[in-house]
Amino acid sequence: MTRNILVILVLFTCVPAFAPNARAAMSRGFNRLLDAVVRIDVREETFEAGARRFTGSIGSGVILSDDGLVLTNAHVASPRAVELSVTLASLERVNATLVGWDHWTDLALLRLDLAEVKRRGLKFTHAEFADSDKLYPGQTAYAVGTPYGLTRTVTRGVISNDRRYFADNRGVNGYETGLFNTWLQTDAAINPGNSGGPLVDEDGHVMGINSRGYLGAENLGFAIPANIARRIVAGLAHDGSITRSYIGIVPGSLLDLEGFYSLKQNTGLLVNSVDPGSPAAKAGLRGGDIVLTINGTPVDGRFPEQLPPIQNLIASLPVGSTVKLAVKRGEQTIPFAITTEKLESRQGEEWAFEKWGLTVRKVSRAYARENQLADDTGLLVIGVQPGFPAAVAGLERGDIITKVDQQAITSLDVAKKLHAAFAARPVPTLVEAQSDRQVSLYILKP
Amino acid sequence: MKLSFCRGLLAVLLLAGVARAADLPELFKERVKSVVAVEFFTETELDRRPTVTCAFVADAAGTLVLPPDAVSGRVQPSQLKDFRVYIPGKPVGDFAHAVYLGQDALSGWHFVRVEEKFRSQLTPVTAFAAGAGPAEPAMGSSVWGIGLRRKDEDFVPYLLSGDVSHIESFPERAAIALAEVAAPGLPVFDRDGGLAGIAIGGFGSTFMQFSRTERGSRVMLMNVEESRVFYLTHEVLPWLGRVPSSVDGRPIPWLGAYGLQPMDPDVAAFLKLDNQSGCVVSEVLENSPAQAAGMKDRDIIVAVGGQPVPRLKPDRVAVGYVEREIGRRKPGDKLTLTVLRGSERVELTVTLADEPKLQREADRKYFDRLGLTVREFVYGDGVVRRAKLAEHRGVIAHFVKNNSPVGTAGLRTDDWILEVDGTEVKTYAEAVAKLAVIEADTGRAEFVLLISRNNETAVLRVKLK
Repeated sequence: MTRNILVILVLFTCVPAFAPNARAAMSRGFNRLLDAVVRIDVREETFEAGARRFTGSIGSGVILSDDGLVLTNAHVASPRAVELSVTLASLERVNATLVGWDHWTDLALLRLDLAEVKRRGLKFTHAEFADSDKLYPGQTAYAVGTPYGLTRTVTRGVISNDRRYFADNRGVNGYETGLFNTWLQTDAAINPGNSGGPLVDEDGHVMGINSRGYLGAENLGFAIPANIARRIVAGLAHDGSITRSYIGIVPGSLLDLEGFYSLKQNTGLLVNSVDPGSPAAKAGLRGGDIVLTINGTPVDGRFPEQLPPIQNLIASLPVGSTVKLAVKRGEQTIPFAITTEKLESRQGEEWAFEKWGLTVRKVSRAYARENQLADDTGLLVIGVQPGFPAAVAGLERGDIITKVDQQAITSLDVAKKLHAAFAARPVPTLVEAQSDRQVSLYILKP
Repeated sequence: MKLSFCRGLLAVLLLAGVARAADLPELFKERVKSVVAVEFFTETELDRRPTVTCAFVADAAGTLVLPPDAVSGRVQPSQLKDFRVYIPGKPVGDFAHAVYLGQDALSGWHFVRVEEKFRSQLTPVTAFAAGAGPAEPAMGSSVWGIGLRRKDEDFVPYLLSGDVSHIESFPERAAIALAEVAAPGLPVFDRDGGLAGIAIGGFGSTFMQFSRTERGSRVMLMNVEESRVFYLTHEVLPWLGRVPSSVDGRPIPWLGAYGLQPMDPDVAAFLKLDNQSGCVVSEVLENSPAQAAGMKDRDIIVAVGGQPVPRLKPDRVAVGYVEREIGRRKPGDKLTLTVLRGSERVELTVTLADEPKLQREADRKYFDRLGLTVREFVYGDGVVRRAKLAEHRGVIAHFVKNNSPVGTAGLRTDDWILEVDGTEVKTYAEAVAKLAVIEADTGRAEFVLLISRNNETAVLRVKLK
């Protein structure tokens, strides 16, 4: 009997031992952070159905400055957004506009309508970044956000891994992501709606921006590290976009191929593939080459986690600059000088041609290369509306429209003009499209 | 007066029908001699797969015709082994051997010749085609044919019959019956026992499928054992003589216009092609007769040999028409093609060539320890990979064994192998020589391949130990 009491007492006395941590969670910094976390309601255009449609979604964000800059995910707020409504900690709603986005790091920057804030006398605080390079696995982390629309939800976990490699060529609504950064992994519960919310330490400093989790897995969440976010925020606030350089090499991890290539320990970046037609391809680089140095700096790409910083090294160079590579091919070491291009997404601009019942995405240079098209002429059909001219003519999702009325569709504007002409005076219009290299003709009938 | 005459005619027809129906078992007994079951084995790297198909007798020399889909296009004739011919209804223990003669490019038929032993028991279908003219069966006329049960039932022949419902050009003239009339590849007869045509496979019917979980979804079903469609006699008789002179089926006439696409009547009308059709040439292949004649990508072929491309139904058949017009000619033949280029009509004179080496003719070699078969890179491999002639090199991974060293390293079938151990392989011989050395070297711990897949290269490290 007494023994039992003793056990209970021991447990009881144990509680104060955890108390400092619990209190830290309620520190001033943390409270202040809570007042900087917002819910974001987004209404955006979609073009999948052969017509312009609108959908709504909910995400999270964190206010970064007194002048109302809000950081969120690129997959929450993109240029497709037509309405961005931010719910402050005070539960008051205020409109915001998109300052810029960067799908490569899955970050977007909004600005609150300050005039409205001022007029209504709304109050908010702003968050501070932590130094994400100093994080360690096992460190306590809190995710704050709006999972499933449940505003101001705090979940707790630890940093599970501070340098996770995770790249996805279609990860942000079809746009590439993760090639230039590693991620923080956390087991703090992250659910849909948490996206864009901060992952913070006990003092409320932002360690990262929660971005994604494995569906169906138990607490495998990923966040963009604060140090990456800080740099992207500066760029977006300044220019509205992040410009990167591109040469067209697809790296692979060298793992234990060092022996085969007779390399010194921890040197070299394996070129797995070279994008056809890219600057690197034109310069003569090939799959199987080993890059030893980039502009004189030795590189070490043995493991996947090491690849994003190397990619970023090239991406950070000014567009049009020359990058010098020392490349090992067989027994030789060959110097290459490659002039960089501006990095482009494979995902082109989308548009709806209402009178044709047709929605399209511009063929980008990257898409054309990937699909071995002669050039970036053309519009990829992403939707047709049943009963409308495009569907009746037999056009289907996946076709690439290369000519309309004998004019090559070199840009979206060319097609817009032709569509306007059709809208003004509907006459049968000849369309040339290709699907998997098979060229067919179609007639759009009024 | 007129009425009674009609009645009289009807009565005569009915009587004739009754009389012939009584003959049917007799007709069947005779005509089943023009039908056999054929079994053969396809030898692959790891196993021998049996195929059983129907065939009809083409001539008195024991030539048998197998339907086009009896053999896969990936298979090399040398992999086809042990052809056995069975007489329908006879115990399967009693079979005759046969040799493979090759595939005819125009008809798609595979030809096989059975040994002497059985020939006297067989009757060529031509025996029932005496006097067959271009007359086509009338709508509603009865036709019948033969189906064969499976091997464990001694390929017992059975009767199938139906009435002709519709005649169409595919572009071959073909009849569609109201019921299954023969196994695909077997002859179809009229009520007098005359050859009406040869049944073809590949036609499906749409059904609604209901189940506990599905409220009704459309499914297409294809009866692969019996067919309702047959090419008419006057179309197929000329093909009987097309026995390939060599097992590779050479020569094969070739134009080199890739991706012919049909057009719908709206497009034809827009292009002022009244009552006819045309085919869009998606790409003109490098070094092809089409290129030599000055054909350009996206030209529209509107006439072949001066004959306008007819409007056929469905639109897709126009492509078959153009392909057949080429297929029935020989390499070296001159052919005029009229193409529409923009708004201009251009006459091209093409000299057809023999088609470049096909996949099934390409050299190949299997490496058991490494776990792959490499195949010579042929013209068609360049076409599908969009590689220019100057870029043709390396070999194709024709087969990759599961859980083999190369399979574990990530190699997949149809990968294009560009380098072995960091050095480029220019030719098939080079690749085979390199891989043979690695295969034989039991001390080797690993080697490296550079491969290309979907236009991207990758370095694969193959662990041998």
